[in-house]
Amino acid sequence: MAGKKLSILSSGLIAAAAALIAASLFFPWWGMEFFAPQYPEGLNIIVYPDKLEGEIDIVNGLNHYIGMKGFSEENFPELTYLKYLIGGLALLTLITAVLRRKKVLYFLIGLFSIGGLLGVWDLRRWLHDFGTDLSPTAPIKVDPFVPPIIGENTLANFITNSYLGTGSFLVLAAFILILIPLWKDR
Amino acid sequence: MKKWIPIASGLATGLLAATVFFADFSPGDRNEAIAESSKNKTNAEKVYVPFGEKDEYYLFASGGHSGQMFIYGVPSMRHIRTVPVFSPDSATGYGFDKHSKEMMGGFTWGDLHHPAFSETNGDYDGKYMFATDVGNSRAAVMNLETFTVKDIIDVPNTSGPHCAAFVTENTEYMFLPTRFAVPIGREYAPLDDYSEKYRGVMSAVTFDEKKEKLNIAYQVALPPWSYDLSDAGKKVSKDWAVMTTYNTEEATTNLEFNASQADRDFIVLFNWKELEQMVKDGKYDEVTGQKMIFPEKHKGGMYLVPVAKSPHGVDVTPDGKHFIASGKLAPTMTVFSFEKAFKAIENKEFAGERNGIPIIKYESVMEKEVNPENALGPLHTQFDDQGMAYTTMFISSEIVKWDPKTGETLDRVPVQYSPGHSVAAEGDTVAPDGKYLIALNKIAKDSYLSVGPSHPESMQLIDLRGDKMEVIQSAPVNPEPHYAQMIKADKIKTITVYPKDEKNPDAVYSQEETRIERKGNEVHVYGIAMRSKFIFDAKAERPDQIEVKKGDKVFIHLTNIDFDQDITHGFAINGYDLNIEVQPGQTNTVEFTADKAGTYPIYCTNFCSALHQEMTGYFLVKP
Ligand SMILES: [Cu+2]
Repeated sequence: MAGKKLSILSSGLIAAAAALIAASLFFPWWGMEFFAPQYPEGLNIIVYPDKLEGEIDIVNGLNHYIGMKGFSEENFPELTYLKYLIGGLALLTLITAVLRRKKVLYFLIGLFSIGGLLGVWDLRRWLHDFGTDLSPTAPIKVDPFVPPIIGENTLANFITNSYLGTGSFLVLAAFILILIPLWKDR
Repeated sequence: MKKWIPIASGLATGLLAATVFFADFSPGDRNEAIAESSKNKTNAEKVYVPFGEKDEYYLFASGGHSGQMFIYGVPSMRHIRTVPVFSPDSATGYGFDKHSKEMMGGFTWGDLHHPAFSETNGDYDGKYMFATDVGNSRAAVMNLETFTVKDIIDVPNTSGPHCAAFVTENTEYMFLPTRFAVPIGREYAPLDDYSEKYRGVMSAVTFDEKKEKLNIAYQVALPPWSYDLSDAGKKVSKDWAVMTTYNTEEATTNLEFNASQADRDFIVLFNWKELEQMVKDGKYDEVTGQKMIFPEKHKGGMYLVPVAKSPHGVDVTPDGKHFIASGKLAPTMTVFSFEKAFKAIENKEFAGERNGIPIIKYESVMEKEVNPENALGPLHTQFDDQGMAYTTMFISSEIVKWDPKTGETLDRVPVQYSPGHSVAAEGDTVAPDGKYLIALNKIAKDSYLSVGPSHPESMQLIDLRGDKMEVIQSAPVNPEPHYAQMIKADKIKTITVYPKDEKNPDAVYSQEETRIERKGNEVHVYGIAMRSKFIFDAKAERPDQIEVKKGDKVFIHLTNIDFDQDITHGFAINGYDLNIEVQPGQTNTVEFTADKAGTYPIYCTNFCSALHQEMTGYFLVKP
């Protein structure tokens, strides 16, 4: 049975992953930047696990012309509980590091993957919802659109750029850290 | 072998050496290089500011009897903005909204003279701009974060504060002496009693930065003369100020001749610290609600300095050691010494007194008389970074550069007809910039496309950087550029949107909070303006409608909830002579009586979006 225990090094890596996940709570996870000739410095929507930042009111003011719903923290129920999910994941990761059991690690990796996919699906769902459920009485009619999760999109004279934030990268790094023991302790 | 150590250290040393020997750390050399390259530039290039770049200086030019202040960029001389101060302005809704209407106090015009920046340690701090109204005896202060007027006060006992505003070294006071003597309280008194009953009252005005309010601290009942121009001391003379007088003859009619008889008029030299102390010590009379010092009763702090007749400008040198007066009718600039004046006061070298104010002996305070050949009508003097003086010559139409230390004439440049004031870059501070001087020309030859008999006034930009002064640009200007102040652009820190003020009871920052409340015959509207709609009452069937009864008193509080740059909304009621403006984030109030029954469309006057034309509503007044 002793062979099934993870090495100290692996345990350390998993503990580091737990720290990275916890740290990601304090950084933006995803963002979108809008540029237009009249906004050369850009307008921002910055998404944290628990809040929105950026020029949300201005973006909403502009979006109401095409009948898009307003962005607000109330509109995203995820923002109220996401931080607990991420905190919980960090805690689970820490427990995995302490227990040093391979089975637990597999479970964690599975949970991590499912959580990640769910997150991406959720974001994509929101983008689809906002871009296609446009008010029929809007003064300016545009074709429904879905901005990419990462990358560029053009709408009228606005070029939008969606990108992953520091928080996402921290979590990605954490994921890599918990994958390493799979190979190291094989 | 750790071979990389010698390699890395060798590279680092080489880089360091190259930086030490070849990098240009000296700003002097760079300036010289710029000056050298500007020599080879055409005048058009010297004033050209390409799109995307901004001017180096703001120019605040008084608008004279337009009651407005004109803001230009230097060196491009592009007109950037007109700021209404003493006159209503429908472009900005100034004089229609509650605050500005109250400030205007029922007056519909003003004669804006002598703008002055607030100062810290004798240098412009870019926070506030003061101005006075010769037309209706008022003083105003403009906030330079928003370029809007914050307060206007009436100055009692005074008529036409022409020689103001000038502020002391740390904006402790600005002094407003009068151009037209009147009896105290402006009461009736026949002109035969002029010498006994009339006074040229000077007011010491303070500014409360927290409340953005002007206030009169005390007044001085000066003799019934006309006070023309003034300047505050600096450094060694910081507690002092000087102002020129004319009509010391105390003539009451046909002043053109009668006020030009005496060979000498006076400069009033006063110590404001001492006057302040006198007020503290109770050495004043309470008159028309003001603390007024009568020099014949309470001596001290004020002196007269004889000066060549009918002087116009008096300017303190940047080092604060001298003051220079220019004789409008005697073609001389006289350099006076503060130190000599202090000594003469100490030794009581007086030659009599007028109205209880001692006259300092001319010889005891005069340093030199400067009289450039054929230079006629010296008016105002400004300074450059070397301490050199530039004086406008009204009659001989030129700017004369001269050295106040030696009196030597260094250069002269003709300008297009009759300059009044001139302004150099920060030219009346303790640290002038040099570089540019603008001659403000009073009467202009028709240099521009003709607009009929009245020619546009003109401003001419003079480059001071070369060996010779050179006129490099000429720009037409709205009447009347009387005096101006030129400030380094980066000293002014404007805001782009008004911050939310949650404590403001008139403000509503969300659509849901909008409402119309009725209290008796008063109707209070708490509305918002946003791209591209008005909402006065979100719960109403028509949120963009206001309905009142004839005779109702209507208060419309409007908040612009577009916190976005340059999204200014207007609010006009068609046919009701009303138009106000709300800048991004701002809450503004218009207050009026609905005295006309009928149907009046409301619309946004300030272009705000593609659907600006649709930004309308209705004001319905039931008969
Ligand atoms: Cu508008």
